[in-house]
Amino acid sequence: MNPLTLSASADAAPFLRSRWEPAEVTLAQAAALLPPLAVVLVAGGGPQALLLATSLAVTFFWETLFALLRGRAWSWHGVTTALVVAVMVPAGAPLWQLALALSLGVVLGELIFGGRGFGFLAAGVVALAFLRFSFAAIPFAGDSDAVAMATLPGAALLLYLRLISWRVALAAILSFAAASLAAGQPLDPAATGASLAFGLFFLICDPFGAASTNAGRWLYGALAGGLAVAFDTAPGAAVAPEAIVFAALLASIFAPLLDHAAVLVIARIRRRRHG
Amino acid sequence: MLFSIRKGYDPALPGAPRQSVEDAAPVGSAAILGADCPGLRPALAVATGDPVRRGQVLFTDRRHPAIAYVSPLTGVVEAIDFGPRRTLSAMVLRRTGQADPEDDGAGTPATPPTGDAREILLARGLWPAFLARPFGTVPAPDGSPVAILVSATDSNPLAPDPRIVLADQGPAFDRGLTVLAALTTGPVFVAQPPGAGLAAAAGGRIRAVEISGPHPAGLPGAQLYRLRPEIGPGEVWTIGYQDVTAIGHLFETGDYRSERVVALGGPRALNPRLVRTVMGASLRDLTAGEVAPGGRDGFARILSGSVLAGREAAWLGRHHHQVTVLDARPEARRLPLPWWLGRPGRGPRPLIASERLEGLLPFGIPPVPLMRALAVGDSETAERLGALDLVEEDVALLSCFCTSGADYGRLLRRVLDDLAEAA
Repeated sequence: MNPLTLSASADAAPFLRSRWEPAEVTLAQAAALLPPLAVVLVAGGGPQALLLATSLAVTFFWETLFALLRGRAWSWHGVTTALVVAVMVPAGAPLWQLALALSLGVVLGELIFGGRGFGFLAAGVVALAFLRFSFAAIPFAGDSDAVAMATLPGAALLLYLRLISWRVALAAILSFAAASLAAGQPLDPAATGASLAFGLFFLICDPFGAASTNAGRWLYGALAGGLAVAFDTAPGAAVAPEAIVFAALLASIFAPLLDHAAVLVIARIRRRRHG
Repeated sequence: MLFSIRKGYDPALPGAPRQSVEDAAPVGSAAILGADCPGLRPALAVATGDPVRRGQVLFTDRRHPAIAYVSPLTGVVEAIDFGPRRTLSAMVLRRTGQADPEDDGAGTPATPPTGDAREILLARGLWPAFLARPFGTVPAPDGSPVAILVSATDSNPLAPDPRIVLADQGPAFDRGLTVLAALTTGPVFVAQPPGAGLAAAAGGRIRAVEISGPHPAGLPGAQLYRLRPEIGPGEVWTIGYQDVTAIGHLFETGDYRSERVVALGGPRALNPRLVRTVMGASLRDLTAGEVAPGGRDGFARILSGSVLAGREAAWLGRHHHQVTVLDARPEARRLPLPWWLGRPGRGPRPLIASERLEGLLPFGIPPVPLMRALAVGDSETAERLGALDLVEEDVALLSCFCTSGADYGRLLRRVLDDLAEAA
C-alpha cells in the first residue's frame, strides 16, 4: 500500500500527504482491540456487555463535553480507552466505580491536555490505575490464554502499521525476562506470555504513553518490563495485570525524561561530530 | 567517496518524465521573484517599459549593492510589483523580437570576462545562484565559505536526471567548478549519482562525492550532513548544477546564459519529459498544450518545483528544476453540521509519534523532538537538535507523514528567522 497520496486539498507544499489522520489511527487501534473484546464478551455475557456500554457512554460523554467547551470538532478517540477498560475489568464490577475511574482517566489522562496526542499518558492506563487505587476490591482480568491469543492479530496489525513500536515491545520482553531471572521468579513462556500479552501491546506499547525517540523507546520498554517484575504480586509464572498497569503508568510518567536524556545525548554526539 | 544514505522515502507518483531533453515552446515572459529572495529590497536600475537585454542588470540588493540581478531574456520590463516594506514581489519581463532563447542576446559582451571571479559573479547576476547554510539565503558578497557543495543529484519525485541534463555540458560544468574553487579556500564537493563520472579528473580541491539512497539523499542538506565531519563547522554554500554550467559558460564566452532544463511531469502532464526553457519562465506559457484533460472542469494546478517542496506558482522558481502538473483543488464542501458536533473546522490535530517518522530524516536528528520544537517555535531546542543544518525542503517528508497536517517547512523557516535575528 502506498502510504502517501496526492492531497487534493493541500494549498501549500507538500502536496503529498499521509493517509493517516488521528481518527484513522483510532480506527486501527479499535479494530485491533475487537478480538480480545469479543473473547471477554463471550465469556462475560450480558454483564460484560453492560460494562462495555457504560465505558463507551462515559468516554463519549467527556469527549462531547470537552468538544463543546473548547468549540472543536468532536472526536471519537475515547473509544479505544473504553475498549481497553472493558477488556481489563471483569463483569460484575460496580458500574459507578467504573464510570468514576474512567472519567478521571479520560479527563486527567488526555482531555485536560487538549485531547489525545497532546498529553503524555495513555488514558486507559490512567483509568485502570485509578480504579485500582480507589476500589482495590475489583480484580483485573485480561490475562487469560484466550485473551492473549486474541491479542496477537491486533498486535501484529499495529506493529505492521508501525502504530506501536517493536522496540518498546522487544525491550519490555527482554527486560522482563532478565528481571525475572535476576529476581529468581519462575518463567514459563506460555503462562507468562499469556498473562503479559494484552497489557504489553495495549498498555505499555500505547503510542500516546510511550517514548518518542528510538533510544527513548528502548529505555522506556526496558523500564516498563523491569517495573512489571518489581510490582508483580501474583504467585507462579503469571504476571498480575495490576503490575503491568502500574509499570505502564510509571514508565509513561518517565517517558518524557527518557526522551529528554536521549535528545541530550544525540545533540552531544552531533556537536562532537560537527566540530 | 561513496555515501549510501539509508533513511528517507521515495514517493511513487504517476507522470514520471521521459529523460531526454527537448526544446520547449518559447515562453512570452519570465519573472524574477521575491519568493526566491525573501526580504530583498531592490535598488532599481530599470523602469517599467524599459527595453532590456539578456544579462542586463535590472536591480541590485539595497542591503548589498554589489549583488546584481539580471534579466533572463531580451525584451521589455512589463511590471514591477512590490510586497510589504518595498520588498520585491516580482519583476516581469516580456520577450520581444526573436523567440529563440539562444539568439536573443545581441549586444551581450562576446569576450570572456577577466578579473576577480567574485566580482564577476556579483556583477553579472550569478551570485543569487548560491545559497548559504545555515539559513538558506543568498550569501553576503564578502562571505567566505569553508566549502562549496554542488549537488548534481536530484531525488525529488519526478525530477530531471542531472546526468542527462549535463550530458553535453561537460566542459562548461568543469570550467564552472574551477571558478567556484576561487571563492573558497576549502573543498568544492560535486555530489553525483554513483557512476556519473562528473568532475572525476578535476583533482585539487574539487572533489567528487557519490551519493545513493532515497529522497532526500539528493538534496544538499543530507549530503552536507555526511560531509560535515570532514568540512568542520562554518558556513557552506550550495549551488545547483545548472547554475555551475551557467557560470562556466559565462567565464568561457562572456555570455549570460539563462537557459534552464526542467522536468515537466505529474499526473496531469500530457507528455512528461525534460524541456529546455529559461529561468523564471512563465509557467502558463510553458505548460500551454501540455496539460492532459480531466479532473474537475479540466482545470489543473501547476507547481514550480516538486510535490514535496514546490509551490503553486505562475513563474518558474530560481532554484526549481521541475514543473509538476496536478489535478485542481476541489471546491471546499461545507457539510451542514449539527450544533453538537462542534463548530465547523477541525481544530489542531495531534502529532502521533509513530516509528515510521524515524526513518525519514538522514540528518542525525530525532524527528519527533524536532517536530515538537518547531510546532511550538522553540528555536533554542531546535537549534540544539540541529535545525541550522536544515532548510524547508529537508523536512518536507515530515509534513507528509505527520498526522497533525502541520507544514514543518514553514515552521522551520520561522525558527530559522528567529535564529538569524538572534545571531
